[in-house]
Amino acid sequence: MASPKLARYRLYLRQRPTLLVVMSIVAVIFFLAVTGLSRIYYRQREFLGNRWSTRGLADLNAKNFGAAVTEFRTALLYSRDDYSYQLNLAEALIGLKRTGEASAYLINLWDREPDNGVVNLELARIARQQTRTDEAIRYYHNAVYSAWPKGQEHRRREARLELIDLLLQIKDQGDAQAELIALAANVDDEPEMQPIIGRLFLRADDYEHALAAFRTALSQDRRDAEAMAGAGYAAFQLARYPLAQHYLEEAAAANPKDTQSAQLLQTTNAVLHMDPFRPKISSVDRSRIVMESFAAAGQRLNACPLPKGPAAPDGSAVSLSDEWNTLKPQVNALKRNPNLADAAMDLVFRIERQTSAVCGTPTGTDLALLLIAKLHEGS
Amino acid sequence: MDLESNPETEVTVENGHTNVATAWIHGHSPRALLRSAFREDRFFLVLSVFIGVFSGLAVVCFRFAIDWARIYLLGSGAVLTPARMLLAPSLAGLVIGALVIHFFPATRGSGVNQTKAALYIFNGNIPFRTAIGKFITAALAIGSGHSLGPEDPSLQIGACLASLLGRKMRLSRDRMRLIAPVGAAAGLAAAFNAPISAVLFVIEEVIGRWTAGILGSVVLSAISSVVVMRWFLGSESLFRIPAVQLKNPTELIAYAVLGVVGGLASVAFASGITTFRPKCKALPRWTQYFQPAIAGLLLGVIAMLGAPQVMGAGYEYIDQAMHGQFTWQFLAILAGAKIVATLLSFVSGTPGGMFAPTLFIGAMLGASVGGAQHVLFPHLTGSAGTYALVGMGVLFAGFLRAPMTSVFMVLEVSGNYSIIVPVIIANTFAYVISRGLQPIAIFDVLTRQDGLELPSMEELREEDVLRVEDAMQPVGGPVLDGEKTLDQALAELNGAGPEEILVRMSPGGWNSVKQEQLRELSADGKGNSKLGSLLPIRQVPFLHPDHPLEMALRHVDRWPIVPVVSRADFRQLEGVVSQRTVLERYREFGEG
Repeated sequence: MASPKLARYRLYLRQRPTLLVVMSIVAVIFFLAVTGLSRIYYRQREFLGNRWSTRGLADLNAKNFGAAVTEFRTALLYSRDDYSYQLNLAEALIGLKRTGEASAYLINLWDREPDNGVVNLELARIARQQTRTDEAIRYYHNAVYSAWPKGQEHRRREARLELIDLLLQIKDQGDAQAELIALAANVDDEPEMQPIIGRLFLRADDYEHALAAFRTALSQDRRDAEAMAGAGYAAFQLARYPLAQHYLEEAAAANPKDTQSAQLLQTTNAVLHMDPFRPKISSVDRSRIVMESFAAAGQRLNACPLPKGPAAPDGSAVSLSDEWNTLKPQVNALKRNPNLADAAMDLVFRIERQTSAVCGTPTGTDLALLLIAKLHEGS
Repeated sequence: MDLESNPETEVTVENGHTNVATAWIHGHSPRALLRSAFREDRFFLVLSVFIGVFSGLAVVCFRFAIDWARIYLLGSGAVLTPARMLLAPSLAGLVIGALVIHFFPATRGSGVNQTKAALYIFNGNIPFRTAIGKFITAALAIGSGHSLGPEDPSLQIGACLASLLGRKMRLSRDRMRLIAPVGAAAGLAAAFNAPISAVLFVIEEVIGRWTAGILGSVVLSAISSVVVMRWFLGSESLFRIPAVQLKNPTELIAYAVLGVVGGLASVAFASGITTFRPKCKALPRWTQYFQPAIAGLLLGVIAMLGAPQVMGAGYEYIDQAMHGQFTWQFLAILAGAKIVATLLSFVSGTPGGMFAPTLFIGAMLGASVGGAQHVLFPHLTGSAGTYALVGMGVLFAGFLRAPMTSVFMVLEVSGNYSIIVPVIIANTFAYVISRGLQPIAIFDVLTRQDGLELPSMEELREEDVLRVEDAMQPVGGPVLDGEKTLDQALAELNGAGPEEILVRMSPGGWNSVKQEQLRELSADGKGNSKLGSLLPIRQVPFLHPDHPLEMALRHVDRWPIVPVVSRADFRQLEGVVSQRTVLERYREFGEG
């Protein structure tokens, strides 16, 4: 009979185990349906996110930062954790000088990927702007050793150059030199980088490496006036005056507007001309130079009167001026007594040193004499 | 064999090891085992998992629906055009008004009270139609920019689904009553991605009591719904949580100030709702078609005036506030504008939740107070994000009046326990101020405005509890020792004392005897017997002074006097209670 059978089926359907099975089947169907819906949902969100991000990138490249910020924010509505959207938004915010907001995004990104070069570099720049120097140096270091999405070597170099610039700015010459040496080692085969490195070495007071960098640059392009000037300056600072003269002459000839090199060349020429101790010089010339130098020192002394010097062993205070006056008659007869040249030049050097300490760095002949004094210091 | 038989009686020893389970299974038929597995209390737990799964799936669909509504009604851009700002919420409001009046009248409001009503009035029954209506109308409202949130509707949708499953499974009335809160926890947990807060909220605000049976089901459903939700939507919280730190203890003063400001804002917000809601409801019926539309139009005007952030749930702006992207002055304006916007949306009867607006207002207020304090006291280290997080908890405590949930919600959302002290301090201030200025919690006021009388969890929590010590009287006569002889006891009484006398038994326990019974026993020649041995073997129950007085009611009708003893020494009598003293105390309490 159908009726009792139907009733039995109904009874089974009302049993809890049966209901549980039915409920499980419904749950699976519901789950699959939601999975389908979620695919549509996420596809649409991805599409919208990409659309707004593309617009944002176009505006970012056109430096239209305000619009870019809005567009990247919209893109983030659809993919809140998208790394590139956040990074681009941060860059757009930096463009708008809203560094506080940019920092919030960048720090979030840094937490997710502490070795991302772009994030580290941007954070370093913000920290530098906000004069948080230690933090900036740390982020720059991270950026130098971080992974970069593309053009890794170039971007690392860029980060290192900024780091060096910061170190030089805060007068940390030691660390700057270390970074520069590391940078120079990485760009050995890139002549276009050498003048840049050379200039940075000059700023870091590392003239030896600066000269080497400029010489490498010149080996590739002998007409590079900037490299010639840099090499001349480095050689000058190293007191290698003949070499400095060579580079500076070429620099001045190659670029007549380079007044600094011309001026430096003048001083170099003066040093080379006024040095009575240079080799292969006749005694006549030496005497003439000593006399000229002595006269120049006397004028310098008149222009820059010095306070009384230390008391002599006999108790009387002897000034450089007195010494100069005492020695003057003898120097006038230097041709007859060439042995007096050393004593005269010693007095000249002392006068130049002391006057430069009191009245500042001299110019012209006096500067040349001062440099000669430094050149022969201790000899 | 009886399914309830004690398993310990079925112990067998195999290879020297006791194997209770195996023996139990061997001793039962497969049918009995099946029946045992599907016993209602166990089945209820299994059902809770299913409720969680279904609620989680429904909430995921709800989120999709809201987002789609937003994209198609307000546009896909973050910057809204003025036309959409004005038209989307007002036109959607017209549709919502018609739907609510003609098809889904039970979907008005947030849904928390409806779930409570299902528990206390309708034996767990909520029509499934309510879930469908809530889904459609709330998605439309939130997606079109009405200032409401998806959490409370999710809670109600979860409760509806649970009620449907319970009905289909033919659960008993007791279980049916509990099923709505189980679904509510699942819905809320999935919507908020915070299972602990959801469980706490449902326990604190809907059920109002902690029992292992309820807790197990609520936790299971909440966890399973969150798992499902995370499967589809990911595990990220609703906003990016900033670094939280508290370096200087003096900063706690700043958080206390935030608590005060938050408490006052909560009162203003709650007062606005409780004042304008009945006025809007009292307007002619035809106006109810247009109320959501007018609210939407005004909302659009607020957005056009410079605060489009108030439209919708606003989680993305909470995120931005947390990361210092607004000035403190603008944050304060946003908090005020959101209060007005939510007031408009809610009092117009538009379906939608209060959680998200509460969190929005709290976050803006918190970040604003934090920003202002940074201007005044630059040495303060707390970030805007920290203040915003604490601010969310403050409004939760002050406006929704769920103090426990508010603390755990912030902890769960932030995942940082170092924030607990500021949160507790700020929330306490907000809660105390809110309670002081507005004695009845917002949900309770709304319930009463709807003509329902549901138990107020806050009132229950705060209610004075009568204890046994309140009705306790000193012992009115001698207390006999069970170790003494009958003659000694009679001599001690000497014909005086009350009719009913307590007897202290050895080694422990109490008994009572009438003087008349003692005299009868003496006449029977039992004067030399120990009193304890003569009395019937029945123990008079005893109470402790701190027991609730209702516990005394269980005994005082059977025993003329019930001893109240010390917890440290059960033989030390503190006093006695009787039916008369207990009832008198209740009467005095009732008279105030």
